[in-house]
Amino acid sequence: MDLALTLVGLSHRTAPLEVRERYVVSPADLTACLAAIAGIPGVQEAFVLSTCNRTEVLVVGEPGTDVAPALRAHLFRNLEDEVYVWSGVQALIHVFRVASGLDSMVVGESEVLGQMRRGFEAAQQARTLGRTLRPLLQQALHVGKRVRTETDVGQGTLSVARVAVDVAARVFGRFEGCRALIVGAGETGLLVARHLVDRGLVSPTFASRTQERAREAAAEFGGRAFGLEDLATLAGEADVVIACIDGTGVQLGPDTFDARTLRTRDRPVLAIDLSVPRAIDRAIVKKKNVLLYDLDDLQQVVQENRVGRGAAIEGSTEILVAELHKFLALRAYASFSPVIAAMRERFERVRDDVLDSVAGASTDKKDIELAHELSRKLLDVALDHMKEGARTTSSEEALDHEYRRFLERLGAEDPP
Amino acid sequence: MRTAIQALTVLLPSAYLLAAILHGMAFGGDRAPQVDRPRRIVLSVTLLLHLVCFVLRALVLGHFPVSDVWSTLSAVAMCAAGLFLVVARRSSGERSVAYAGTGGVVLGLVSLLQLIASAFGPTQLVARAGGMGTYQVLHVATSVLAAAALILSGVHGILYLLLYRQMRARRFGLLFAHLPDLDVLARMTRSSALSGFLFLTVGVNVGIAMAHAEKSEGFRYAQPEVLLSIVLWIHFGVIAFSRHIRGFSARRASFAAAGGLVALLLSLMLILFPGISFHSRL
Repeated sequence: MDLALTLVGLSHRTAPLEVRERYVVSPADLTACLAAIAGIPGVQEAFVLSTCNRTEVLVVGEPGTDVAPALRAHLFRNLEDEVYVWSGVQALIHVFRVASGLDSMVVGESEVLGQMRRGFEAAQQARTLGRTLRPLLQQALHVGKRVRTETDVGQGTLSVARVAVDVAARVFGRFEGCRALIVGAGETGLLVARHLVDRGLVSPTFASRTQERAREAAAEFGGRAFGLEDLATLAGEADVVIACIDGTGVQLGPDTFDARTLRTRDRPVLAIDLSVPRAIDRAIVKKKNVLLYDLDDLQQVVQENRVGRGAAIEGSTEILVAELHKFLALRAYASFSPVIAAMRERFERVRDDVLDSVAGASTDKKDIELAHELSRKLLDVALDHMKEGARTTSSEEALDHEYRRFLERLGAEDPP
Repeated sequence: MRTAIQALTVLLPSAYLLAAILHGMAFGGDRAPQVDRPRRIVLSVTLLLHLVCFVLRALVLGHFPVSDVWSTLSAVAMCAAGLFLVVARRSSGERSVAYAGTGGVVLGLVSLLQLIASAFGPTQLVARAGGMGTYQVLHVATSVLAAAALILSGVHGILYLLLYRQMRARRFGLLFAHLPDLDVLARMTRSSALSGFLFLTVGVNVGIAMAHAEKSEGFRYAQPEVLLSIVLWIHFGVIAFSRHIRGFSARRASFAAAGGLVALLLSLMLILFPGISFHSRL
């Protein structure tokens, strides 16, 4: 199981939102970040996953080199307990779990798979993927799909957006006559809108950096579209404000909500901030008749109410262990490629030498075909033995044990 | 028949208490799924028994069976439980758990009222001389229904405030997960207040008209119970229409309903004190 993988990161499990938001790598900075990591001595391949709930870097190091301290120093300076490091097979297990949504704040949420795919594409463009990470990430994406298809993980259409709308429903019930403002028209914004509309909301308002996206979203849900310059006015008129946008430079503060208007409102104003970095100033909660929640609050909702946990993780262990085994076997077999090529060449040379020495130029065509067939069959026998050797390099039992050890270290509350 | 009435009078407080406990258990805890059906059965059976007791009393007395303060309390308890059952039956699925929480509080209060009625009520049933006239029945019936509706309004108001405080404090426990949403609680507070206000409009006006017509001895507007009834009437009227009053938010309406519930219970207690109460001399 020799795998020179190292994963360093922080997530909702280890770091609060105010820490996580400082270490987000925006899509615009991703290429530069990957290049910088690839430049660290000993790093051969690199991949970065940055979402609202985690920032992780996965690298393949030179054998015998510990790159974790350099990665920590480069990405997570001044952090101690918030940062975790996984290496070898355990890093692989972690990546597969992340792709499957098992490590997500809302177990089984589907956004992480898309975020992982975008991270993969960015790393490919930055040319930081190689013989290990490329197949590993492709398989992780496959595992993510498989776990969602073959277990109950994908059945509940769980997502942070859904939890946010569930929380909003504790105030507004069926959202009848409710005025909703969705800040950001990206994937999460659209998901929020879909859940709101499914529950009776009519005509959501979108405010986005790119008005074109806001217009598209508004057209899809029969709503209104605005740019961020109108944000303060729109927020002041809304019953529920859900922000799902990169909060850099976007701030809804206490001044957005007029105290006098708030006092005369029948229902409280609900603000839910799904942005990382946050887009809504926490100080607004000091105003009367305002309820504010951010991702950490939603995590608390998920934990206290056990949203989707038990059913979601049931049956996923078998799939993960089988896929780990498949990946390691393929990798071991792939490592035999130079040997196989050399063997093939040697077999062919020996065959040709024997044919030359036995019959010379007068060899019968049938004898040549026979010799070719014989050498091919002998080579197949040898390759079968090598495949079997690769398959048993990491037995499923050993991987199952490794997976349990991983969960013990993780301190998982509900081991699957 | 009298023995059956006595047996039911003793049984009813415990039956309501059991229904309240089962509703509380259905709201949260490990046994919630097991008690979901029994709680409905116990409440339905208890209400049926109460109705039987009510009818038997009417047969024995020969007139409308709400003729003293104790039977009034008992009738208020029955109507409050009945109104709750109607509301809870209209909700289904997820919301039925939410109404289990409301039921725990409503039925707890109902069992307390019934306990007072059963414990302090007369053991011997004595019919009123001359029975009860139509207007008297109308006055009593609407007042009892009003009190029951106002109890529901107050309880929903209290639950609104509880849930709002939990949400402000970012506590996402049992109340957050299972109570009806703020919008429903606010609507229930106001619609119950509106029902109570309408019934009380009839009850108070018929009562005052009767007092004037019959020149009832001891009736004065300054009587605490009369004053309190009028104040309650205005109070719940304001709550009922508060949605149309600028600045009167759902939270304020809930505060007012909770305060109104306390005043209502005080009003019911005032009726119980002989000498102070105009009704107790009737």
